[in-house]
Amino acid sequence: MAYKMRIAMTALAVLSVAYPALADDDKIVVGFATAESGFMEAYDKPAQEAAMIRIQEINAAGGLLGKQIEVVKADTKSDRAEGAKAGLSVLDGGADLVVVSCDYDFGSPAALAAEDAGQVSFFLCAESIKAGIQGVGPHSFSASVLAPVQGATMAEWAFKEKGAKDFYRLLDTWTVYNKGICDGFDWMMPKLEAQGAKLVGEDTFKNEDASIAAQITRIKSLPKEPDAIMLCTMMPGAVSAIKQLRAAGINSMILNGSGVDGSYWLSAVPDLSNFFVPVQGSIYGDDPSVDVNKFNATYKEKTGADPSSQYVYPGYVMIDVWAKAVERAGTTKADAVVAELEKMKDEPTLFGTRTFTPELHHQNKARYLIVETKAGKPGVVGNWTISEPVPMEALLK
Amino acid sequence: MSAVVSETPLAGVVKAAKKPARFSLARRTIITPILLSLLLIAITLITVMTGSRPFNQTVIDVLVRVIFVVGLYIFIGNSGVLSFGHVGFACLGAYATAWLTINPIMKSSALPGLPEWLLQTRLPYWEAAVLAALFAGVAALIFGRVLMRLSGIAASIATFAVLAMINTIYSNWDSVTGGTSSVVGIPIIRTIWPYLIGAVVAIFIAWAHAISRSGLALRAARDEPIAASASGVDIPKERLVAFVVSGAVMGLGGALMAHSIGVVTPDTFYLSLTFTTLSMLVVGGMGSLSGGVIGVVLLSALIQALRWLEAGVPIGESTFAMPKGLQEIALGIIMIVILALRPSGLMGNREVTLPRRNRG
Repeated sequence: MAYKMRIAMTALAVLSVAYPALADDDKIVVGFATAESGFMEAYDKPAQEAAMIRIQEINAAGGLLGKQIEVVKADTKSDRAEGAKAGLSVLDGGADLVVVSCDYDFGSPAALAAEDAGQVSFFLCAESIKAGIQGVGPHSFSASVLAPVQGATMAEWAFKEKGAKDFYRLLDTWTVYNKGICDGFDWMMPKLEAQGAKLVGEDTFKNEDASIAAQITRIKSLPKEPDAIMLCTMMPGAVSAIKQLRAAGINSMILNGSGVDGSYWLSAVPDLSNFFVPVQGSIYGDDPSVDVNKFNATYKEKTGADPSSQYVYPGYVMIDVWAKAVERAGTTKADAVVAELEKMKDEPTLFGTRTFTPELHHQNKARYLIVETKAGKPGVVGNWTISEPVPMEALLK
Repeated sequence: MSAVVSETPLAGVVKAAKKPARFSLARRTIITPILLSLLLIAITLITVMTGSRPFNQTVIDVLVRVIFVVGLYIFIGNSGVLSFGHVGFACLGAYATAWLTINPIMKSSALPGLPEWLLQTRLPYWEAAVLAALFAGVAALIFGRVLMRLSGIAASIATFAVLAMINTIYSNWDSVTGGTSSVVGIPIIRTIWPYLIGAVVAIFIAWAHAISRSGLALRAARDEPIAASASGVDIPKERLVAFVVSGAVMGLGGALMAHSIGVVTPDTFYLSLTFTTLSMLVVGGMGSLSGGVIGVVLLSALIQALRWLEAGVPIGESTFAMPKGLQEIALGIIMIVILALRPSGLMGNREVTLPRRNRG
């Protein structure tokens, strides 16, 4: 009796596992294994909302391959072990695309679960090369741009457009993202040095350091104040570092990664000037593209608030490029979709172009808008695309 | 399960005046690990029958935590010294299995500082897990040699320092551990059986240690240190034995945890895991192996139930959902209530056994 019972249970279990696969025919499912609580929510939620906007647009226009896109969600609780479970549970929900957390560390468990099941996974806005083939597998992508591109962009732009000659490099060793920005800067610097720029010094600190007085003293004791300081850091330590640099009377240009974009923290450093951030699109209402400004309006209408930083945008880009690949492949089968994604070369999106290759599922070159904060007011002052893509050696460093 | 709770047989044996027959203690107490293993096996079988992948992963998590808490119990339960450092040994185990199982090509680019022979090594996960446990055990031996001479709160603080040291070294030794970034490429094992075997092995190791000469001496030293040392018990030595055994079990748990998620970072094995596992042990009952295992199972079930409530439960037409994040608060309150009502944990110092009359 017990044996029969077990067979019946097993049969039921097999059926329930097989069911989503059978149901695949009449709908397309996007699974979000992202943080709905915990600290990662602040990064994941805005990008996820942008993704939802694109999904709603596609559904309103008749769907994808004639089918409506449905969404299933599972909360990672900003925890890695929970992330693996969230990945598995959206896969059980029949997800054709698994969207995972912004950060590589927190998104990878879910992405690895998707890779294991042979499904496409997309990091919402991870900027490490590991968020893709190198750290997950051949079905994994990221919707954002690599962090080294940001460092390289800022260095080249400052040298070419602002005439900065003496550079100083200040690295916060806390995260891989910070190191990535400085890796890109390090790759670009020798090229600029050949043209007359100079690295006059470098230093490190830690995000949690209450004071960077020692680092500031070393900058102050240089014979001449550097023209530009490449500051490779992120929130929350960035605010304190910037405030201390300015309070010490250092008025050099401060170059940053995209991680400090947003005006939410500017009140902590009143009248900040000469401060530059690369962004994929402007949240300040002055983007040169009409469509971006239109998107900002839609976002505000849907969520009740303006985008808080440029990290909203990759979510939209992600669904956009994936849907195009599905449309071209004529199926949601992972290998066919990956093949179509890898054919994309300078594919236009609302927020710059996207290129994916069989070696790199990430952007090693991108157009960035440069936002300058002048007297506490941020605004777009130009745009820059690095002269050549960041090579693999610099990315894998 | 028709188990009832009774006064620990261990205490009775220690008190007994007449010399017992060989293995009589083992015969009389073996029912405890067997019952605990049956509990885990039952949970595993139910999980396999449901066929749900996320639930499977949840139970794998529970089994890994059982290994951790049993590892903690071996030292804390028997010696009475609270250790905050054991999760450090789990970290050592997790990285050891990463070094041994990652594809050599990936390893030489991600972790170039490893010695050449280790770069070329690639073992199946179970061999790696055993070696990881041994590695953590050896590390525990080295640390324990120094620390076990301390006692009471000084020892606890020193173990905390061990945790901080391991975390700092592993967060900064970039060429060998990858620093703060995730180490990837660890083969992911999604079948539940290896974790069940690991947990059962851990329970039997804990039981065997507790009834061994060293385990009994350590318990005696925990309850009456002066009398114990007057009777010839070398307290630092017995503590060291427990420290090494528990370090190795923690290493095994760390290795299996790495295989269950597929990525390791140093901050996975830090304060949050330390306090989760410690609170499971405290709620279950620090002085009892059954307490450790049941504490994990109960608290995990509670966490899972609260998660379901958070996700929303359909009641009639509407869906009832708790606000996100309430799970942690509710869990904290429930733990406080348990400890207020039962200060020495759910099980106290007792073990689950069959009713007394059933025993020979």
